[in-house]
Amino acid sequence: MNELMGVISTLLRAFVTTLELTFLSAILSLVVGILAAAMRVSPVPPLRWAVSVYVRLVRNTPLTIVFFITVFGLPQVGVNFSFFSFALLALTLYTATFVAETVRAGIQAIPIGQIEAARSIGLTFTQVLAYVVLPQAVRSVVPPLASTFIALFKNSSIASAFGVAEAISVMTNMVNVHSTIVLSIMGATAAIYVALALLFGRAFTWLERKALIAR
Amino acid sequence: MTGADRHLFDAPGPKAIRRMIIGSIIAGVLAVVALAYALVQLTDKGQLAAAKWLPFVTNLDLIKFLLLGLGNTIGAAIVSLGLALVLGIALGVGRLSEAKVVHTPCAAVVELVRGLPVLLNMLFLFLAFPLAFHIDLPAFWTVVLALTLYNGAVIAEIVRAGVLTLPKGQREAAMAMGLSWRQTMALVLLPQAIRIMLPSLISQLVVLIKDSALGFIVGYQELAAQAQSAALLLNNPLQTYMIVGVVYILLNSLLSEASNYIGERQKRTLSKVYASARVAAVDER
Amino acid sequence: MPDSVISMDKVNKWFGALHALRDINFRVSAGEVVVVAGPSGSGKSTMCRTINRLETIDSGTIRVNGETLPAEGRELAKLRSEVAMVFQQFNLFSHLSILDNVTLGPIKVLRQSGAEACKEALGFLDRVGIGDQAHKFPAQLSGGQQQRAAIARALAMRPKAILFDEPTSALDPEMVNEVLEVMTQLAKEGMTMLVVTHEMGFARRVAHRVIFMDAGQIVEEAPPEAFFTNPKTDRARDFLSKILM
Repeated sequence: MNELMGVISTLLRAFVTTLELTFLSAILSLVVGILAAAMRVSPVPPLRWAVSVYVRLVRNTPLTIVFFITVFGLPQVGVNFSFFSFALLALTLYTATFVAETVRAGIQAIPIGQIEAARSIGLTFTQVLAYVVLPQAVRSVVPPLASTFIALFKNSSIASAFGVAEAISVMTNMVNVHSTIVLSIMGATAAIYVALALLFGRAFTWLERKALIAR
Repeated sequence: MTGADRHLFDAPGPKAIRRMIIGSIIAGVLAVVALAYALVQLTDKGQLAAAKWLPFVTNLDLIKFLLLGLGNTIGAAIVSLGLALVLGIALGVGRLSEAKVVHTPCAAVVELVRGLPVLLNMLFLFLAFPLAFHIDLPAFWTVVLALTLYNGAVIAEIVRAGVLTLPKGQREAAMAMGLSWRQTMALVLLPQAIRIMLPSLISQLVVLIKDSALGFIVGYQELAAQAQSAALLLNNPLQTYMIVGVVYILLNSLLSEASNYIGERQKRTLSKVYASARVAAVDER
Repeated sequence: MPDSVISMDKVNKWFGALHALRDINFRVSAGEVVVVAGPSGSGKSTMCRTINRLETIDSGTIRVNGETLPAEGRELAKLRSEVAMVFQQFNLFSHLSILDNVTLGPIKVLRQSGAEACKEALGFLDRVGIGDQAHKFPAQLSGGQQQRAAIARALAMRPKAILFDEPTSALDPEMVNEVLEVMTQLAKEGMTMLVVTHEMGFARRVAHRVIFMDAGQIVEEAPPEAFFTNPKTDRARDFLSKILM
């Protein structure tokens, strides 16, 4: 029992790394994704093309391969980061494509009549954006973004194979050391993952309701 | 043109057109500069050397080695899809069941599995299975079962959504004919739901192909694993992973296109079949 | 002609190969109510939308209050605020309450204070008969109520003219009259109105002038009595026989 308690406290510390990786990549992919979405709907054709190529390529590549290219490919051209930063880069590059598509869809789902009505009362471009487009887009974008970020949370486990000591990596080490309580270790890890995933789900539902009320 | 212009932006006037052209030129120049910089860097570090790229054209053994990986990737993905479909229908229908003893455990399994990383499922089979049953699970089955479990849960939700989006009249008509719940589900609702699901199932195959790349962690010789070995042997990770990436992209783009095509075609035929039902539903509201 | 609120001179527009507007010339004077009629696809809606530059034109001149319609920017926004528009699909902002729908323009464009805009908005909503609906959201209102709210939103901009783009075409039949009554009232109060509609009864009772369009051209322009009792062209006769049956 003591053995298991020790393992769990080590695991919990590893989950802190998982959460760091998740939150940092979430914030970065939100920034990159929104920027990409803005480029994707901009009236400047090369920007639109660049983003659509990026999204098409990366979305069809396994995250594992994105990791391989960043962690093993980039050092070949002289880019050397820590494993954690590489993982951050890979997860951000991958997740940002989903954010970009979601935000773009959220903007384009707004009926054109809403925007024409806003123009017809004399709102300028920035005002149309601020008072009509964005408030409506935010509402339709929160639920799909929630799934994207929960997927990111789970995807961060792939970093375990690329030198980051997050939850799954620490779990695998523990399993090798404490060979008598393998099932308990894995069960505990699974339980923490599910609990956190449910917690995030709840948090996003709350956020969604908040976005709905704040209309 | 894309929705971009008409949606967010007014039809451009002369100033806006000038700005668009200047923006396009700047973006184009930046792209060329970035590309040139990348090429210079690659050349500088010897990454464009023929020796690093040529094996993928000339070395037949290497090509065969990677194709074997591709075959294993597709094999695992297809077998997983088949099994996940069976599991997903069972869980999805179970979750729709009116009996609480059936409904609750199915819902619990679906929610639980969807909260777990696929990698954890895979490692569980890889590490815990031998301990529990004193035999190693073959790598193929480690990958397939892990993917099946996760995607089964996802498909269960697709099935449930598929059944729930069917017009209410379908269920009512079946019940009115005197069919039981089970008969209604098996003979009327499920067949229609599965037809509607076809595009989603093909997209799910893309997810499976991408997730199967985790197989390298448990020693399954799929495409990513073969790439890893090849990259070590040839000492050209950048080139190998990029080429393998392109293979994945081609395969998955093809599947995505197919899924879109079928989806579009279905939307047309289905709108005919259900048109009257939709109208009725709108009137009721 | 300093007197015309809206004027079009030799306006042409193409949608690809389709010549949507052919040499359109017409004027709307202050206080005038002009009804634009014609079969669907005749270009009447397109013409209406060009005045607010929701559609661009390929040649010709559009003037509002004697000023050429600007191509973009703040000047365009300002001119748009002076010519309000009421849409077929109402297009109330779905994330705002009815009151906020009406006050958005006055606060953000006319720079009125919130309290002032609110007070005036309630007045306008009362005028169109839905003062009691001010705090609801558009989706909670019937089509007729939504369109009346859209008219209140237009009025709140204190426009020099209001464009109506088929304001009753998306309404259930029993709601058409409540909207037409509001429009009739506005006309009586001297509002300058350009109305694209199929409601020939309204045209007959309220319009000062009827413009009949077909295939992108203005085919006939006459006072309503003359137009309805004695159309000069075959195309207008044909159209009227179909629509008045």
